[in-house]
Amino acid sequence: MLKLTNLAKYFGGVRAVDGLDMQINKGEIFGLIGPNGSGKSTTVNLICGVFPQTAGTIELDNVDLGRLAPHQRIEFGVSRTFQNIRLFGDLTVWQNLWVAWRDAPGHETSWLVNWFGSPADRRHEIQKLLEFSGLGDRADRPASSLSFGEQRRLELARAMASKPKLILLDEPAAGMNSEEVADLRNRILTMKNLGMTVLLVEHVMDLVMSVTDRITVLNFGKPIAEGTPLEIQNNEMVQEAYFGSAKNVEAGN
Amino acid sequence: MNFDHIDIVQSLIDGVLFGSVYALVGLGFTLIFGAMHKLNLAYAASSIAGAYIGLASITIFAVPTVIAFLVGPLAAGLVGLLIYISCFQFMPRNNMLAPLMASIGALFFIDELIIDKTAGSPITFPVLLPDAYFPVGEFGFRGDLLFVTFASFVLMGVIVFMLYRTKMGLATRAASQQPVASLLCGIPTHRTNSTVFVLAGVLGGVAGCLAAAAVGVLSPLLTLPLTVKGLIVAVIGGLGSIRGAIAAGFMIGALENLFLLFRGVNERDIYVFLVLFLFLVVRPNGIFGTSIDRD
Amino acid sequence: MEYYLGITQTIGVHTLLGLSAYVLLLTGQLSLAQVGFFAIGSYVSGILTVIFGWHILPALLVGALVAGFFAFLVGFPALRVKGLMLVVATIAFSEIVRLVFFNVNWRVEVNGLEVGPDSTQGFREIRYFAANGWEQAHVVLLIWLIVILVMVLLWWLDKVRAGAVLRAVGEDELAAQSSGVNLTMVKVAAMTGGGVIAGIAGGLFAHSTTYVDHHTFSILLATFAVSYPILGGLKNVLGTLMAVIFIQGFIIEGLRFMGDYRNILFGLLIIVAMNFRPQGLVDGNFTSDLRKLLRMNQKRGGIDA
Repeated sequence: MLKLTNLAKYFGGVRAVDGLDMQINKGEIFGLIGPNGSGKSTTVNLICGVFPQTAGTIELDNVDLGRLAPHQRIEFGVSRTFQNIRLFGDLTVWQNLWVAWRDAPGHETSWLVNWFGSPADRRHEIQKLLEFSGLGDRADRPASSLSFGEQRRLELARAMASKPKLILLDEPAAGMNSEEVADLRNRILTMKNLGMTVLLVEHVMDLVMSVTDRITVLNFGKPIAEGTPLEIQNNEMVQEAYFGSAKNVEAGN
Repeated sequence: MNFDHIDIVQSLIDGVLFGSVYALVGLGFTLIFGAMHKLNLAYAASSIAGAYIGLASITIFAVPTVIAFLVGPLAAGLVGLLIYISCFQFMPRNNMLAPLMASIGALFFIDELIIDKTAGSPITFPVLLPDAYFPVGEFGFRGDLLFVTFASFVLMGVIVFMLYRTKMGLATRAASQQPVASLLCGIPTHRTNSTVFVLAGVLGGVAGCLAAAAVGVLSPLLTLPLTVKGLIVAVIGGLGSIRGAIAAGFMIGALENLFLLFRGVNERDIYVFLVLFLFLVVRPNGIFGTSIDRD
Repeated sequence: MEYYLGITQTIGVHTLLGLSAYVLLLTGQLSLAQVGFFAIGSYVSGILTVIFGWHILPALLVGALVAGFFAFLVGFPALRVKGLMLVVATIAFSEIVRLVFFNVNWRVEVNGLEVGPDSTQGFREIRYFAANGWEQAHVVLLIWLIVILVMVLLWWLDKVRAGAVLRAVGEDELAAQSSGVNLTMVKVAAMTGGGVIAGIAGGLFAHSTTYVDHHTFSILLATFAVSYPILGGLKNVLGTLMAVIFIQGFIIEGLRFMGDYRNILFGLLIIVAMNFRPQGLVDGNFTSDLRKLLRMNQKRGGIDA
C-alpha cells in the first residue's frame, strides 16, 4: 500500500533520513522505532509533505505522492497526528473534526454543501466519531479546555475524520500514563479490526510490541532491521543501537 | 528624453552615497529583528525624533552644531529604550501581533507629536560641509554625502565589532537564537534586548541627523518614507542579515536616484516599492538568504 | 442633524474597512493593504459615475470587483511570505497604489465642466448624490444597508464550515494543512473577500465626501482599519463595530475639542491596549476572563471569611 523507495532527506550536512526502503501492506499496523534523532519524525513529515524529500519516492497504492502539496496527499488518503498536540484550540471539539471532515468515498456531497452547508448536515456523523473517541459529551467545548488524554483522542479523531487509507501516528503515547496507554492500545486494535492501516512511530515499547504486525528500526536515518516484534526484540543490532532501551524491550515481555 | 552616461553615473554616485542613510536605518530594523524576531515599526520615527531633538538643542539652547549631532543620536537611543519598554518588554514572547501593533501606535504617537509641536511645517537643518565638493574627472562627489557614507561605515564597523567581539554581543546573539535557554543560563534577555534597542536607536539618530543635514530640512513628512524604505532595505537584505541590510541600503539608494532621473520625483517611489515585490517573488529570503526548509 | 448624519456615514465606512481587515485576521494575516483596495474602490467607482455617468450601484459593484481582483493578484506573491514580511509587503502595496493615483491625470469635459482625477490635486467633484437629488439621510441609509448586509454575511460565514476553516488556518497553519486545507486557496480567498469589502467602502467614502486625494489613503488609515478588529477582538463582527464606534465616535469626534491630540491619543490607546490585552479587548477569552476574575474574587472572599 505505502511504498518508500530509497527515501532521503538532508538538512544541510545532516542526513536525517538516508536511503529508507519500506513497504506497508493494507490492514497492517506497522511500527517505526529507533533512538532519538534517528529520523522517525522526519519520515512522517516526508510522507505528509511538510517538506520535500532530497531523493527517493513515496508511493501510495501506486500513486506518486512525492511532489504533491500536503493537503493533496490527504485527498489520496494519508492523514496524521502530531508529536506535540496541534489542535485548533479556540474552535470547539466538533469544529475541529468539521474542518478535517471528508465524506466517505461514494457518498460525496457537492463543494457548495461541503463549504457552506449548515452544521446540521454533518453533526450526526461527526457525533458518531466523537462517541467512538469517547468525546461524545465534549462536542461543544473549546478544544483547548480538554484534558491531555482527551486532546490526544481528539487529535486521533481528527486524523480519522478525513477517512484516510493510512494514518500516521507520531508518538501518540508521549506523556500518557499507563491507563491512557492501555486505552490507546485498544483504540489502535479497534482501528485494525475496522480495516485501517496505521504507521506507528513510538518510544513506548510495550505499546509497539503489543499492537504492531511488523516493525522497521531506524538508526542514523538508515533502516537497520525489519521484522515481526518478536524478531526485532531478539535482534542484536537493535539492542546495540538502543543500549538502555533494550532493557525496556525485555521488560515489555 | 536623452540622458548621457555622465548624468547616469553621477546620479548613481549620489544615490549610492545617500544610500548609506538607508543602510543605517535598514540595519537598525534588522538588528532589532535579529535580536527579538519582532519588527519595531516605530524605529524610523525614533530616528526622526532624535534629529528633531538635536535641532531643538540648537534653536532653544543655541548649542554648537557639532554638539547637536551628538545630542540627536543619544536622544534617539533614549526614545528607542522607551519604545522597548512601552511596546516590547511586557508582551508575551510568542505573540508577534501585539508588539507590532503597539509599535505602529508608537509610530503615530511620535509622528503626531512632532506635527503638533512644529505645526507640521518643515524646519531648515544645518548643512554639513556646505562647500566641500570633490570633482573627479567628469564626475563629482558631494562632501556632505561622502561624510555621511564615511560615518555610516564607522558605525557599521562598531556594531559588527560589538556583536562579534564583545561579551554583550555574544549574549545578544545567544538570546536571539534560544531566548528561553539563554534566560535559564543567566543571560538577562531584557537587558540584552534593551541594549539592542538603544544601540539601534543611536544608529537611527545618526541616520536621521545625517539625512536631515543632506536634505537641508527636517519635516514630519520624512517619517513614513524613511520607515517604508528602511523596511524594504531590511527585507531585501534578508531580515536579520547585517551585510544584507548594508548592501541593500546602497542598492536602494542607487536605484532610487536612477528612477528619479528617468521617471521624476512623483513616480520614483512606485518603482522602488516594486523592486521589493520583485525580491519577495524571486528571493524571499533576501540578497544573501538561503532557503530554509526546516520547521 | 447634518453633523450626526456625517458621523454615522464615517462610522459605516470605517466599519466596512475594519471588517475587510477582520476577514484576513481570521486567517492570521495582518494586512495593511486594505487602504490600497479602499483607494482602488474609490477611484474606480468615482470615475464610473463622474466620467461615464453610471448609476451609483453598478459603479460601487464594479469598484469592489476591481479592488477584489487586485487583492486576488496581490494574494499570490504576498502569501509566499508570512507574518512580519506580509506586513512589509502590504505597506509597500498600499504606498504603490497611493502613488499611482497621485500620478493619475484623466480630465474629461462632461456637460461643459472639466472633471476627473487631477493627479496631485486629487479627485474632486464626485457629486453623484447631490446631482441626483439624494438627501444625506438616503446616503446614510445606503451605507448602513451595505454595512448590515456585509455583517450578516460574515456572521453567516462563521456558522458554516468555511468559517471554521478560516479560523483553523489562523490558529495553526501546519495542522490545518495536515487536515486537508488548501492554505493558498483559503488565504487568497480571504484576501479577495477583504479586498471586495474594502473596495465597496472606498466607493461609498468617495461619493459621500465628494473628493479624495492621496492624503486620504495614508498608512494611518490602514492602521485604523486593522486596529478596529484587533481592539474589538475576533470573536464576532460586533466587536469590530464597537471598536469603530468607540474610536471614530468617541476619540475622533467626541474629543474634537482636543484637535491634533486625538491622533496622538489614538497612538497611545493602541500601545496601552496591546500591553494590557495583547489578544484584543473583547476576544474569545474576554467572557471567560471575566468569569475567572469573578471566581477569584469569590475565592478571596471565602478565605477572608
